[in-house]
Amino acid sequence: MADLGPGAAAPGNPRGGAGRGVRPEPRHIRRVLVIWAIATVLGIALVLNLHRLLPGLLPPMASSEAQGVDFTLGFFTVLAVPVAMLVWVFAAYSIATWRVRRFEGLDGPPISGSPVLQTTWILSSALLCLFLVVYGLALLTNVSAAPPGRLLTVDVTGQQWQWNFKYPSRGGVTTTTLALPVNRPILFRVTSLDVDHSFWIPALAIKIDAIPGEVTTVYAMPTREGTYTARCAELCGLYHSYMQSRVRVLSAGGFSSWIGAQERVWGRGGG
Amino acid sequence: MASRWWSQSVLTGVPMGVVTALVAALLTRAIGGPSASDAAICIGFVGWAFGFLGGMGAFRYPRTLLLARPDPTAEEEHQLAVQGGGPWRYFRFTTDHKVVGIQYLVLGLVLFAVGGLAAMLIRLELLRPGAAAFPPATYNTIVGLHGIIMIAGTIIMITGPFGNFVVPIMIGARDMAFPRLNALSFWLLFTAVPVLLCAPFLGGFPTGWTSYAPLADQAPPGMDAFLVTILLFGGSVAVAGANIVTTAITMRAPGMTWTRLPIFVWGAAMTASTLGLMVFPAFMAAMVLLGLDRTLGTSFYVASGGGSAWLYDNLFWLMGHPEVYVIAIPAFAVIMELLPVFSRKPLFGYRTAVASTTAIVGLSVLVWAHHMFVTGWAPQLNGPFMLTTEMISIPTGVVFLVAVGTLWRGRIWLTVPMLFVLSFLWNFVIGGMTGLYLADVPTDYQLHGSLFVTAHFHYTLMGGALMGFFAAFYYWFPKMTGRMLNETLGRIHFWVTQVAFNVTFLAMFYVGLQGMPRRVADYSAQFAAGNFVASIGAFVLGAAMLVFAYNIVSSWLRGQRAPSNPWHAKTLEWQVPTPVPLENFEETPVITSWPYDYGAPEPTPEGAAERAPA
Repeated sequence: MADLGPGAAAPGNPRGGAGRGVRPEPRHIRRVLVIWAIATVLGIALVLNLHRLLPGLLPPMASSEAQGVDFTLGFFTVLAVPVAMLVWVFAAYSIATWRVRRFEGLDGPPISGSPVLQTTWILSSALLCLFLVVYGLALLTNVSAAPPGRLLTVDVTGQQWQWNFKYPSRGGVTTTTLALPVNRPILFRVTSLDVDHSFWIPALAIKIDAIPGEVTTVYAMPTREGTYTARCAELCGLYHSYMQSRVRVLSAGGFSSWIGAQERVWGRGGG
Repeated sequence: MASRWWSQSVLTGVPMGVVTALVAALLTRAIGGPSASDAAICIGFVGWAFGFLGGMGAFRYPRTLLLARPDPTAEEEHQLAVQGGGPWRYFRFTTDHKVVGIQYLVLGLVLFAVGGLAAMLIRLELLRPGAAAFPPATYNTIVGLHGIIMIAGTIIMITGPFGNFVVPIMIGARDMAFPRLNALSFWLLFTAVPVLLCAPFLGGFPTGWTSYAPLADQAPPGMDAFLVTILLFGGSVAVAGANIVTTAITMRAPGMTWTRLPIFVWGAAMTASTLGLMVFPAFMAAMVLLGLDRTLGTSFYVASGGGSAWLYDNLFWLMGHPEVYVIAIPAFAVIMELLPVFSRKPLFGYRTAVASTTAIVGLSVLVWAHHMFVTGWAPQLNGPFMLTTEMISIPTGVVFLVAVGTLWRGRIWLTVPMLFVLSFLWNFVIGGMTGLYLADVPTDYQLHGSLFVTAHFHYTLMGGALMGFFAAFYYWFPKMTGRMLNETLGRIHFWVTQVAFNVTFLAMFYVGLQGMPRRVADYSAQFAAGNFVASIGAFVLGAAMLVFAYNIVSSWLRGQRAPSNPWHAKTLEWQVPTPVPLENFEETPVITSWPYDYGAPEPTPEGAAERAPA
C-alpha cells in the first residue's frame, strides 16, 4: 500500500517516476515513433493538397494581407500536424495494443510519471509557443503598417443594415458600393451610426469593428481586380444577414473613370 | 418544521413567486408610468425570484438568525436534509448534497434538451439559403437562447451534479460545508429558467448570448428577461462556487492531504469553482449597467451620452474567456479522474496536472482581449494578448501528456465512459489547434466573427467539455441512481454522436474559412453545400441525443441494479454502499494512500476507505 508521507519512495508515489521494477519496453516506443513519422508525413501531404480536394476552401487572395493570412493558415496547419499526431498515434497505439476485453482484476505497471518526459513536454510546447508569438508579432507589425504608395482614404459608416462609403479626397462622394483601385494602399476609417457592426471583406482578409462614437482604422492593399463582397461580421439586429455590399477592385484607369462619373452625379465639391 | 406535505415546496414557491412578481411589476408601473415598463419587467422578475425562494422556505434560517430565535435543533437539521425521504424531497429546499446533485443533474439535462432543440431550429433555418423557416426576429432570439442555455448548462453540467454529489464523498465528508447555501444555489438557478423562457414572449432579444451593447440598449423587453436571468444565474454560480471550494478546503477527512486529493476535486472544486466565483461578477456588473441604461436612461454604453461600446466588450469578456475554462477544467478533471480507473494505471504526472490546472486558472483571466482584436479598442495590446493567449496552450497541453502517459502500457478497459474520455482526445486536439489561428492576430482579423469561430468553440466546449460530461454521466450514474445504464444504447449514443459531431462542425470550419459570418439567418449560394452537410450532421446528432434520453429514462426506471463499485475504482465514493446512506460514512474515514496507486506491488483490493484503522 503506497504511503505518500514524506520520504516515501514506493512505486505508485506520484513523485517516484517510473516505479522500480517496471521493465522498459523500448520496442513499443520504436514502433510508435515510426507510425507517428508516417502519419505526420501523410497528414502534411493532406494539408498541402486540401485546396485541391476542397475547391473554394479559402476566399480568393485579392490583397497582400490575404496572401500573408493564407500562407499562415497553411503554415500553422502543417505545424499542428506532428503535434496532433503525437497525441492521436500514441493513444491509438495504446488502445490497439493493450486493450482488454473485460475487467480481469489485473493492473498495468505502476508508472506514475516521468520527470524527464514531463519537463521535455513543457519545454518543447513553450518553445513552440514562443515561435508562434514571434512569428505572429512579425506578421502583425507587417499588416498594421501602411503599405507603401500613395494612400487612398475611404470613410466607411455602418448603420442598420447597410454600409456607406465616402471618398473624402474626392469631394465627399458617397456610395453604397465600394470601388477600389488595384495596387494602391487603402486606409479605411470605420464608424457606426447606431450599434456595433464589423466591416469584413473576406477576399482582402481585413476586418475591423464599426463602433458608434469611435473611428477605427485598417489598411489594405488590393492586388487583384475582381468583384467581391463586404459583409457585416457582428450581429447587429434584425437584418444582419443582409448587411452586405459589393466591392469592386478596378484597374487604375477603371477607378478614375468610375470615381469621375460618381463625382459628376454627386456634384463636384458637394456632399 | 414543515407540517403539511405540500408546504415549503414548489407548490407554495411557484404561486408565491408569481404573485410577488405581479404585485412588484404592477406597483412599479403604477408609480413610474408608461416609461417604467422596462423597470416593471426587471423588478417583476426579481420579485418572482424572491417570492419563489420565500415560498420554498429559503428565508426561514436567516429569519431565525436575524430575529434571535433559538438555533435549529439537530432534529430540525435532519428533517431539512431528509424531507420525508420520498421523491417529494426533490421538489423542496432539501439540504442533502446528494439530493442537490440529482436536482442539478435533471435540470442540466432539461437545459440541454431545450438548448439542443434550439440548435435543431437554427440548423433548420440554415439547411438551405433563403431563411425560409423563421422571421428574422424569431431566428435571432433562437440563436441567443441556444447560446445562453448551452453556456449555463455547460457551466453547471459537471460541478453542479457531480461537484455536489461526488465531491463531498470523495473527500470523506458527510455533507457540504454550507448545506443551506447548497440548496439555495440550486433553487436560485431554478428561478432563472422561467425568467429566460419568458424572453421570447416579451419580443425576444436580438443580441445572441453575448448581449453586446448598444444593440442591447435598443432591444425589446425580452432583453430585460435576459439580463435578470444573468443576475440570478450569476448569483447561483457564486453561491455554489463558494460552497464547493469551502467544502474541499475545510471538510476533507483526516489524511486527505493536498497531494492525495483526487484530481476531480482539484479540477471541479478547487480551481473551476474559484474561477467562476471570481469572474462572474464582471458579467453581472455589465448586466446591471445595461439594466440602468434600459430602465433609468443612463448611458454607460451609449456613445452619444458619453458611454462606450468598448466598456461593455471589456466587462463581458473579463467573464467571457475565463468562463470557457470554468466549463473546460471540470471536464479535464473528469478525463484525468477516469483514465487511471479504465487504464488500471496510476495517473501520469499527478502533480504536474494539478499545477497545470492552477496555471490555466491564473492565465485565463489575462487573455480576455483576444476576443477584441478586431474591435479596434487597443491595437497596441494585441501583441501582449496574443502572447498570454498562446501561453495558455502550455498548461493545457499538459492534459494530453497526462492522458497519453496514463494510457501507455495500461490495461485499457473500453467501457462507455472510457469511450467518451478517448473521444475528448480527438475532439479537443482539433479544438485546441484551431484556436491557434484565432490567437494569431492577423489570421484572427480574417476568421473572427465567422463560422470558423463557432466550429472552433464547439470543438472545445461540445467535442471536448461535453464529452467530459458524458463520461462523468456514464461513470457516476450507477452511484447516483443505483442503476446501470444500458451499455448497447450507450455505445450507439457514443458512435453516432462522434460521427455526427465531426461531420457537423468540420463542415462549419469549411464555410467559415470560405467567409461566412456567424449568427446569420441567410447566406449566399457559395456556402450552400457546407451548410447542408452541417445541418444533416446536426439532425443526426439530435437523434443520437434521443437515444441518450431514452437510455436515461429506461435505465433509471428499470435498469440493472448497480453494484457499489462497478468500475473497481479506488476513490472513496465507490467504497460506500449504493444507494449512499444519508451521512455517507458510518465512521469518518482516515486516508492513508493516494487514490491512483494501481499496480502497486502490495495488492490493495479493499479500496481506500476500508484501509482506515477501525
